[in-house]
Amino acid sequence: MLRRPRRPLAWLILGLAGLVYAVPLYWLLVTSLKGKGELYRASVTLYPHAPTLEPYVRVLVERGFWVLLRNSVLVCGTTVLITLALGLLITYPITRLKVSPGVRRGVLNWALSLRFMPPVAVVIPYFALVRTADLYDRPQALIFIYALLTLPFAIWMLKGFLDEIPAEIEEAAYVDGGSRWTVFWQVILPLATPGLLASGIIVFIFTWSEFLFALILTATPNSQTFPVGVQGLVTQFEVIWNDMAAAGAIAMAVPLTLALLARRYLVAGLTFGVIREK
Amino acid sequence: MLGPVIGAIFAIVTYPLVLAVIQSLTADTGEFVGVHNYVRALQNSLLYDALRATGIYALLVLPTEIVLGLGLALLVQRTVRSAVVKAVIYIVAMIPLVVPPVAVGVIARLFYAPGYGVINQVLMRTGIVNHEIGFLSNPLLAMLSIATVDIWEWTPFVYLVLFAGLQTVPADAVEAARVDGAAGWALFRHVEFHYLRPLFVLILFFRMADVLRVFDHVFILTGGGPGSATQVLSLYLYRIEFKYFDSGQAAALAVTILLVISVLYSLVTRVLPVENR
Repeated sequence: MLRRPRRPLAWLILGLAGLVYAVPLYWLLVTSLKGKGELYRASVTLYPHAPTLEPYVRVLVERGFWVLLRNSVLVCGTTVLITLALGLLITYPITRLKVSPGVRRGVLNWALSLRFMPPVAVVIPYFALVRTADLYDRPQALIFIYALLTLPFAIWMLKGFLDEIPAEIEEAAYVDGGSRWTVFWQVILPLATPGLLASGIIVFIFTWSEFLFALILTATPNSQTFPVGVQGLVTQFEVIWNDMAAAGAIAMAVPLTLALLARRYLVAGLTFGVIREK
Repeated sequence: MLGPVIGAIFAIVTYPLVLAVIQSLTADTGEFVGVHNYVRALQNSLLYDALRATGIYALLVLPTEIVLGLGLALLVQRTVRSAVVKAVIYIVAMIPLVVPPVAVGVIARLFYAPGYGVINQVLMRTGIVNHEIGFLSNPLLAMLSIATVDIWEWTPFVYLVLFAGLQTVPADAVEAARVDGAAGWALFRHVEFHYLRPLFVLILFFRMADVLRVFDHVFILTGGGPGSATQVLSLYLYRIEFKYFDSGQAAALAVTILLVISVLYSLVTRVLPVENR
């Protein structure tokens, strides 16, 4: 006989788990909506008595964080384009051309091994490299490094998507007289577009969140990304809770929105394609 | 086409490593000092504090995340029928994975920091405690605080991977075991675990890699303190290079860590279930 699952208990546990994830986000938003007066009241209020968007305006305009936001968008967008282009240059040959299995395996393993490398161990040599190349505090230094850091993910994701395009479609196009170049542009690329978009979004999310390299390789709003600005608010001597929360909420909003768009591919991206969503 | 691209990227990745090796063998003056920097790095007692902190951190977060993630995956698999509820759970589980660690650090501060931290506020208002608990100033509590943040952030990852894995267990295998009288834990132990085993290896691989690189939320929440109680390996290395400006010692450490990691990686990768033919 099937044992009846103990449903009420199950719902209780799921409800508690939901709270564990909802309350932190609630507290972040609530704090970010409090005005100065409310913040300095003797007792901390558990919900905003007079909600205001003032902290957001202050962070973006008065503190000038909109510049950091622009830097982040610029750096992430450029990184996505470069990573996808490099990723295609590597994955197209190993999935669609006759390449020895040794080379194929070598490339994939090497890409995977980069995932195991602690960034802080490579940040030191890169720091020296960036200084000698006179790229310190320039967005180019970040783009360069982010493209390298996200390339392994792109390679594994794009490989998965390219593998799914049936060889017959491509062969039919060759029979119709297409050259490798036209077939790539007119057959493979359109079919791979959803995969490219998904990979692009995930690369964007990773790059958006990156903090360590941004902290070390930037110094001024000339190249600082948004997470560096957020961190600057946290470690100040007197912490201004509502501004810090507003900055955190902005930092969070962008990847959350993007993740909803690419939700079907997110877990695949995080596990190098081991888990595939249907 | 493939050759030059791979070659170029390989050169770009390798060149800084060569720089690091050179840096690790020279003094700030550029003079060759042999393994002097390595000796200094290994004799620094703070290194062992950092290794211990990283070890404790790993022991706190890895088992907790796997047990909680597995528990939730089995719970949802066995009790939730509605596709809508499953979709909602999927989306909620996705949130912590894409929230930037810096924002997670901010949220953690809003929970643990003195003065505004909501945990202390609630505990004091309900009369459970009279004084603020020093979550970030007591060494043990500080370690537990950074660990809970990691658990919050990464248990959903374990859940998502294992839940996806449970969907691939053939229904007739489960049915056959049920006919034989297996239920609950026995069903998991003898049937489902068999299908999930490669995923456990995968989770351990990724999570170990993440624990070795953990930096952002610790940097924001405790900065490695109090003292060096939460100074995990990444923070320690950061401090040697960018606070003490001891680039010789930092490079020696970086090279050593990369060597150890490569050995670990070559051992782990043999059992990793990725498809790479």
